[in-house]
Amino acid sequence: MRTRDLSTRLIVLLATLVLTGVYVLPIYVMVVTSLKTPVEISQRAYLIPTRNLQFQNYVEAFRLVYPSLINSSIISFTVTLLAAFFGGLGGYYLSRSRSTLVRVLFILVGVALYLPYQVILIPLVQFMAKTRLALTHAGLIVSYLILNVPLASVLMGTFFLSIPRELEEAAQVDGANRLQLFFRVVSPISLPAYASTAIIVFTQVWNEFLLALTLSTPNTTTIQVKLAEVKGSFVALYNIQMASALIGVLIPLSFFLFLGRYFIRGVLAGALKG
Amino acid sequence: MDRKPRRSFRQRVSEVLESLPFLAPLLIFLVILYGMLGWTLYVSLSNWVGTAPNYEFAGLKWYQMMFRLDRFRVDMNNNVKWLSLGVLPTVILALFLAYMLEIGSVKRIEGYVRTLILYPVAMSFVVTGTIWSWMYQPDKGVLNTILRALGLSHLAGRYTTHPGTATYWLILIFIWQYLGFAVIILQSSFRTTELQEMVEAAIVDGASKLRILFSIIVPNIRGGILILVSLLLISALKVFDIVYVVTFGGPGYSTDVLALFMFIATFQQHLVALGAGLGMIIFLMALVIVIPYTIYAFRKWFE
Repeated sequence: MRTRDLSTRLIVLLATLVLTGVYVLPIYVMVVTSLKTPVEISQRAYLIPTRNLQFQNYVEAFRLVYPSLINSSIISFTVTLLAAFFGGLGGYYLSRSRSTLVRVLFILVGVALYLPYQVILIPLVQFMAKTRLALTHAGLIVSYLILNVPLASVLMGTFFLSIPRELEEAAQVDGANRLQLFFRVVSPISLPAYASTAIIVFTQVWNEFLLALTLSTPNTTTIQVKLAEVKGSFVALYNIQMASALIGVLIPLSFFLFLGRYFIRGVLAGALKG
Repeated sequence: MDRKPRRSFRQRVSEVLESLPFLAPLLIFLVILYGMLGWTLYVSLSNWVGTAPNYEFAGLKWYQMMFRLDRFRVDMNNNVKWLSLGVLPTVILALFLAYMLEIGSVKRIEGYVRTLILYPVAMSFVVTGTIWSWMYQPDKGVLNTILRALGLSHLAGRYTTHPGTATYWLILIFIWQYLGFAVIILQSSFRTTELQEMVEAAIVDGASKLRILFSIIVPNIRGGILILVSLLLISALKVFDIVYVVTFGGPGYSTDVLALFMFIATFQQHLVALGAGLGMIIFLMALVIVIPYTIYAFRKWFE
């Protein structure tokens, strides 16, 4: 439904310009500032890039956030792998069975899907403290799995719903059981679905703040907690703040920029839109 | 696996056994999740104050206490602002934008705009909050500095430092972050063959652009709008990071929201029973939002 109407085109152009300003300005200022010295920043020419680029800002910022980058990577990649695996299994059954059990399960998953973490935060902290899981990465990993396995199940299930069943039926005739069907027939053709699910779960976990804030110990501090801390303790050093923040968004942002198609498909599946 | 009219006991057993490897992990996490939800409910009815657990039953004592707090009233007010002003403008703006991209743009512009407004989806609220804190900073901040440089210093605002308007500026960050998300959800709703054909027909009939949007498109993408509104409502209800990073509820507690108060009550004031109660209030509000959405998703899933 495209139009060649001139006035519509003008409106589109205008809107594009406005949006460019609104969405480029913050990230532009961020990048420019991250390369300045504090003295240059205090001159308040925020839009003008500096000539002598301070790459050592990044060195300093990286030194600050490095341990938390490692922690976040360990936690996010582990959760992503496990959630995608469990979610694939669960989602497959949810998409293939219509039994009462599965219908009830779907409702429970649906309610759990976007549950605010606040409603399980207190027991979670108690549980992690009692089992001493909180002292290691396992504490946050288990916590994130609680909400991300249901999410991954729905994401994967949405994709499985769109796979024609003829394939499985053919294999079933050959005597394959459900598990064989899943691992040998369905999973191999669902790799793009796994990629989308993985990207969504990874981004969620990497960017999560509340649980990380309450459950992380000095050894497990995640990147978001560290960034909030940097913002609080380097109040005037905007260059370091911005450089750290940019380092912190690097991984999820590159997923978005380089695997955008999977990213968008995952977002849509997360909205149960397939 | 489909339902058969009569199944023997053995068939049922084998069906359950067959489902176990698939459903066991999901079931385990759901049991933990709902178990903890019940646990939170129980804590909210207890008398737990301090760091050591105290499960002595106190009935609705802490709920009554909560409803009397001025801070709770402020929080509810702010949460309502988030739910209305964070969602409605986003949906309307996204609707026009999605429509615009759909009818009036060339492919290249569409791709550009989508990437442009969608990149914040990959960023955390902590990062967005860090950027916008600085944009908003009243005396050294980016926005005011630019305004002053343009000779528009009378427009320079106090943004998040003014108790009366601070929440609105926080909500603006939320809209900024979620607009792209809203646009792609709506765009995907536009792309059904029936709708496309209806729009083509209306264009041939000479209907105006706005008329097409409101009389043809909107009524036909109600499902997509329901989903979008639910997801935005839930995100607005959960909002914690933006407030924590940008204002920490301040000035005073003028920008406080339930999610932040829950955190402060539990982990800083150690009024754990009160914190659990606040958690339950958040849960009940979430439930109201999620139930219609889940029913809709359920119908689509099992149709």
